[in-house]
Amino acid sequence: MKADSFVESSEQIDPVPGFELQKIAPTREERLFLVLSIFIGVLSGLLVVSFRVAIEWIRILTLGSAPHPGQYRLLLAPALAGLGVALLVRWLFPGAVGSGVNQTKAALYIYNGYISFRTVIGKFVTSAIAIGSGHSLGPEDPSLQIGAGVASMVARRLRLSRQSLRLFAPIGAAAGLAAAFNAPISAILFVIEEVIGRWSAAVLGSVVLSAISSVVVARWFWGFEPIFRIPQVTLRDPRELTAYAVLGVAGGVVALIFSKALGYLRPRLRSLARWTHFFQPGLAGLMVGAIGFFGFPQVMGPGYGVIDQAMHGQFAWKLLIALALLKLLATTLSFSSGTPGGMFAPTLFIGAMLGAAVGSFEKHYFPHLTGTVGAYALTGMGVLFAGFLRAPLTSVFMVMEVSGNYSIVLPVILANTIAYLLSRSLQPVPIFEIFTHQDGLDLPSMEEQREESVLHIEDALRSLDVPVVSGREPIEALSATISFDDTPAFLVQLWDGSWYAMSKDELTAAAATMTGSTPIERALKPDRAPLLFPDLPLDTALRYFSRWPLLPVLNRANKNKLEGVITLEDVLRRYQNS
Amino acid sequence: MAVFELRSPLTAEERQHKRKLILRDMLALLGLFAITAALAVATYFLFNSFSRRRQALAERWFERGESAISNGNPEQAVDAFRSALEYDPGQRETEIKLAMALSAAGRSEEAISYFNTLLESEPGNGLINLELARLAVKQRNESRAVEYYRRALDGTWQGDGYERRRMVRLELARYLIGQKDYSKARTQLLVAAGNAPDDPKIKLDIAGLMEQAEDPGNALEIYRNIAERKPCPVEALEGAGRVAFALGRFKLAREYLERVVSRPDFMSQPESVQSSNHELLAATVQVLDLFPGVELPARERAMRVLHAAEVAKGRLQACSLSRPTPPPSLADLATKWQQIPAKLSPLALERDPQMEQMIMNLVFDTEKQTATACGSPGGEDKLLLKIAQSPVGVEMQ
Repeated sequence: MKADSFVESSEQIDPVPGFELQKIAPTREERLFLVLSIFIGVLSGLLVVSFRVAIEWIRILTLGSAPHPGQYRLLLAPALAGLGVALLVRWLFPGAVGSGVNQTKAALYIYNGYISFRTVIGKFVTSAIAIGSGHSLGPEDPSLQIGAGVASMVARRLRLSRQSLRLFAPIGAAAGLAAAFNAPISAILFVIEEVIGRWSAAVLGSVVLSAISSVVVARWFWGFEPIFRIPQVTLRDPRELTAYAVLGVAGGVVALIFSKALGYLRPRLRSLARWTHFFQPGLAGLMVGAIGFFGFPQVMGPGYGVIDQAMHGQFAWKLLIALALLKLLATTLSFSSGTPGGMFAPTLFIGAMLGAAVGSFEKHYFPHLTGTVGAYALTGMGVLFAGFLRAPLTSVFMVMEVSGNYSIVLPVILANTIAYLLSRSLQPVPIFEIFTHQDGLDLPSMEEQREESVLHIEDALRSLDVPVVSGREPIEALSATISFDDTPAFLVQLWDGSWYAMSKDELTAAAATMTGSTPIERALKPDRAPLLFPDLPLDTALRYFSRWPLLPVLNRANKNKLEGVITLEDVLRRYQNS
Repeated sequence: MAVFELRSPLTAEERQHKRKLILRDMLALLGLFAITAALAVATYFLFNSFSRRRQALAERWFERGESAISNGNPEQAVDAFRSALEYDPGQRETEIKLAMALSAAGRSEEAISYFNTLLESEPGNGLINLELARLAVKQRNESRAVEYYRRALDGTWQGDGYERRRMVRLELARYLIGQKDYSKARTQLLVAAGNAPDDPKIKLDIAGLMEQAEDPGNALEIYRNIAERKPCPVEALEGAGRVAFALGRFKLAREYLERVVSRPDFMSQPESVQSSNHELLAATVQVLDLFPGVELPARERAMRVLHAAEVAKGRLQACSLSRPTPPPSLADLATKWQQIPAKLSPLALERDPQMEQMIMNLVFDTEKQTATACGSPGGEDKLLLKIAQSPVGVEMQ
């Protein structure tokens, strides 16, 4: 994405020049937000359906209705399409390069939610050509970017504020992904896990609304069946969890190989002379085509049909392993060459083959165990999703959502967790972050954000080392007591249970203006110390130090009981030491 | 409180701009709606044309798969059925045909894997269980084969389940016969015979299998039942003659075999069948010519007893001489023969039925013992040995 896009976006946001929008229509954006979320969902759904149909049409036209080894078109179609796509991407649609997830994140964090119409068109056209002609890439990530682009366009058309524009990108992304997956929950979770990074009440409602709208549209066309036909899934024998654990380990290792392969090849190809970028997609297409030509056309394209076949036990375990490894190779070639297209479908493909291989192996050598090949394939998909894309929560929900079966949750959680932990320990930097660094961007790492340890008040808490007095105590007696103490402030407990942190200066001023027998509570200002508890985030306390010299920290069960006190120095010291 | 706060009133110019803003928002939303509607229509037509194309491709590839199978090219059929399923997933018929094509192409491991998956969603499917049984047979896994055959028998079948189950049962029986597990095979055949419709072809098939499963008694029953029909198939008469001969019921065998050779359609039978029937009939006639049946005139019977005794004694002598140290059983037989008067006239024998019986018993013992000691005999000894197996049955009807 070019930097001038941002300039363009800034200029557009001025709905009523010269007038304060907040004054003349204070609830406008709030009302429009929900209505537009539905529009974005419907539009994204329609575009994603058209996108998928376009891919299928192109596939039939270029590779034929049943590609099989030995057909020269398997070599020619992806190679020529690669050349064509490279020209389009370099000359017409520079924003269409890559998978779509990072571009959407960049739009959100760098370009204020701006994705140009040209990028959306480019993504649609170039991805459809590349994927349809056999490049080993998937349509989900482009769908996510198309959805985000639609949202951005709609928000710009309504001339919403920059803040709203930024919020619309993840809403559209969720809609696009939900329609592509036919699974709204997974899409919402993925966008929260991988794009937004944390649960945000401001957009959650709109994200849900748009995702559901897009799925309704997609299902109107594709039907209510999940994206994959899931065979019966059961877990009758707990010993089978061992096999699922093995699958988790295998998934973690394969995720590592996949990440390493992409991390190695992509920057090397990008660093080659600029003129080679025009040929890289074509050459990658030729190599992917060669894999198909010499015996494995299954690795070409997104491979949903092959996932379905593997899930229904059509392949022997040796062939499944071969397909997983060849798909890994083909995807590395296609993606590293800069061909537009996504990583989701290949990830699911490799995972499904790996899972089905484990399942078929078990069926063959341990026929007394009851696990089905379909269950293993399904779990394998989740395993690689967790291990490679590093979206553990989405991976679990995705498997449940696409299977419509809750009984698989135990093996999925087990296998996904193993794969995720193994992958994380072997490859600390997630794949999307690797791509971000390769692209020269510095986007927030969602995994790091998730695991950031937030400091709490208890981390800076000091034991009670200041005097605590009752509000009824006379000023004179109090002055005598406090004057011997070297603390700059003390705490006053009032009759209604509230607290006041009084400085020595305030006490001195009160003693000078009031009689000695006056209770100290009469000398207090009307405000009271805030209610702070040990579990609150530490930054909560910061805002009060301009008013209070120190703050009492109370027990949640008994507000008369003090857990300790904190001062600004305590807080700053804690942050400096963290 | 916020409820009682009054908004600052808008100026006339601000109100006008607010109206403009509302109007513009409405127009923008209308425009958005129009774009959505246009896109929906376009997507609808695109999707519909795509769906029709997919359906056409699914049908085309299914037909290609079927023709590949009928042309004996299962590898091509596998690709064709896979393509058909890609365009129209979940079609049970195509799925089963694909699995069968995999099996026919010799890709047993893939076929088993696929059949197993199909079975998971439909564990009671008779056809899938049958195919898995056949694959287990190919892999020489007897226990799994029998298990799948049994599941196929208990499973559900489309169309005429009654007939399909009988075919599976006969296939299982054939397999068990091949495995020389005759007792289990006989059980299956008896059930099949009990449930079989009144169709001579099916009954002939079952009777033939019963013969192979070493159950000639039940086979004979079935052959005889069919042979009573009018017109009866020549195969039933042949089978009845053959089985009756095997059971030692030579009179019955001759009756059926004579009917066989006298049938006009016998001449249209293959040469080998004709000659085997002729040989069997000739052997039957020879046996009956040797056998001293109770219905024979007394003189004739006595003559046959004396002849049988001569033959048996000759066999005993030859056998004893062939062994350097004859076994004690032969010595016992020789002793018993010495107790028989050396010069018995037919007339004397006619008057002593007990002697007749004693001699014939000794003849049968001699043939049996010498067969054990010196191997299978030839000539008349062979025929006498056959009679010795079941002398009561020779004339049994």
